[in-house]
Amino acid sequence: MTALALAMVIPWAAGIVLALLDGRRRLVGWLAVAVLAANLAALVVLAADVFGNGPVEEVTGDWPTGVGITLRADALGALFAVLSSSALLAATIHEVLDGVRDRVFPGVVVLLGAGLTGVFLTGDVFDFYVFFELSMAAGYILATYGGTRRELGAALIFTTVNLLGTFVFLLSVAGLYHVTGTLDMARAAARVADVDPNAAILIAVGFFAAFSVKLGLFPFHFWLPTVYTGARPAVAAILSGGLANIGAYGLLRFGGELLPDELALASTALIVIGCASIVYGGLLAVSRRTSTEMLAYSAIGQVGYVLVAIGVGGPVGFAAAILYAVVNALNKTLLFLTVEMRGAIVGAVFALGALSVAGVPPAAGFVGKLELFRAAVGSPAVLALFFAGSALSFVYVFQIYQYDFWRGERTGARSGRPQQALFGVLALVVLGLGVWPEPLLALSHDAAAVLAGSSG
Amino acid sequence: MKLAFALAAATIFGTGAYLLLHRDLVRVVLGVVLISQAAVLTLVASGLTRGAAPIYPLTERDVSDPLSQAMALTAIVIGLGVTALLLVLVLRVVQAFASREIDDVAHDEAERDAALERVHAREHEDEEAAAR
Repeated sequence: MTALALAMVIPWAAGIVLALLDGRRRLVGWLAVAVLAANLAALVVLAADVFGNGPVEEVTGDWPTGVGITLRADALGALFAVLSSSALLAATIHEVLDGVRDRVFPGVVVLLGAGLTGVFLTGDVFDFYVFFELSMAAGYILATYGGTRRELGAALIFTTVNLLGTFVFLLSVAGLYHVTGTLDMARAAARVADVDPNAAILIAVGFFAAFSVKLGLFPFHFWLPTVYTGARPAVAAILSGGLANIGAYGLLRFGGELLPDELALASTALIVIGCASIVYGGLLAVSRRTSTEMLAYSAIGQVGYVLVAIGVGGPVGFAAAILYAVVNALNKTLLFLTVEMRGAIVGAVFALGALSVAGVPPAAGFVGKLELFRAAVGSPAVLALFFAGSALSFVYVFQIYQYDFWRGERTGARSGRPQQALFGVLALVVLGLGVWPEPLLALSHDAAAVLAGSSG
Repeated sequence: MKLAFALAAATIFGTGAYLLLHRDLVRVVLGVVLISQAAVLTLVASGLTRGAAPIYPLTERDVSDPLSQAMALTAIVIGLGVTALLLVLVLRVVQAFASREIDDVAHDEAERDAALERVHAREHEDEEAAAR
């Protein structure tokens, strides 16, 4: 109970204080790192509790249940919260080592941590929207980080498109409240079965569009390459490794738990859109010669796998989707952070990340791909497409590896010892989860059981 | 009443979407504002009930739904915040590009891509020459 409250309050209170301080000073940067580390520690304690003893629930402000806003940490939320918090922590350490260039950066990252923690740990639909908007607002400010024309242009597109996405989400929240008469996720899920199917489908489409914009799936992807290539590496890592998790989590939570019938109805459409994403992202990534552009298009392709797994559905499909979302976020954090760095260690870490994206053992990506193949084993067409997509990703990551490290086209500073240590830790996580995948597999199956339990 | 709300929200959303597609950045901001208002209107409409004001202590009569009002208020405040943020962003873009047309921003990006493309084409030719 206290871990739940602490995980929310620490970054929120500290973020407000840090936003007032000059973030370019080293001390403020390290303070932000300490706050994020405390947030992560609280989340890990909470997650251990949740995985051991079941969901933790708390009603805010001592209101009776049903009146106050419910905070609920279940296996799915706790897993994503820990993941996002780790990505933010890694990216912030990297940026502080590199030298923060903007006074608001540490404060905004910590506030983003508060928003993300809230999104993953709330049990209330409207509360989800509030934290969603808080995280997104922090994301909009982060996208301008650097302040040159390139970042500003990218931030403008990012902000406009995603604001439209969140308002579409809000429209769906209003619709859901209207038809179920509650904002509590668990009760809404129980009542949604009696709702007029047409209304439920409209609401589901709204949620799907909002989260797809956030994830950057194929027909909603147009903003993504500009933003990921325009932003600084640490910001790109935060956006793809932290903020984009909202999309995958939202699709799982709102699709798998709240609107399972509509998700089953749209199964084929989701698989088709996911496949289109995989092919589109893969083909465009192959045609790129810089690592940021390759990673941006690769991000579009990789979320396609998550969507296909959600479309397949059931315990196996959801577990595969969760596992792949986790692995993908780790890969993207690792790879985006190594951009604009040179040196032998960076090359080795990039190669490991590349193996993980391509799904080659011993990296964690292999386990992710294996679960995806297991989920899609019923349909040969999807399997063939997964195979083609994996082959494409193998080509595009190692093509960039050749250009950057064998020919030495990579520009940027040589990495220092502390940065190498950070990359080493991240690489060990990716490698460790690939060599010893049992814990992550068990966690993702636990998390999927949350969804499968409520829908079946 | 529901029909009136639905029509009003749809009209506002449509107008907002139309403005969002404009090239002028200020109109784009206005479009986002209108779309946020359409969402607020929908929130109000989602809990339309008649009754006394829901202030504690509750009277014997039925009270109107307080939740949609609370949501609408929250959404208005959030809308205000993000609008202010978006306006500041537009201001910085206008300062950086000395223009408030989205075309100039896109043009800048296209030029950067073209320059990158030229560099890569040259490298490719060098490789071909080396291979020969």
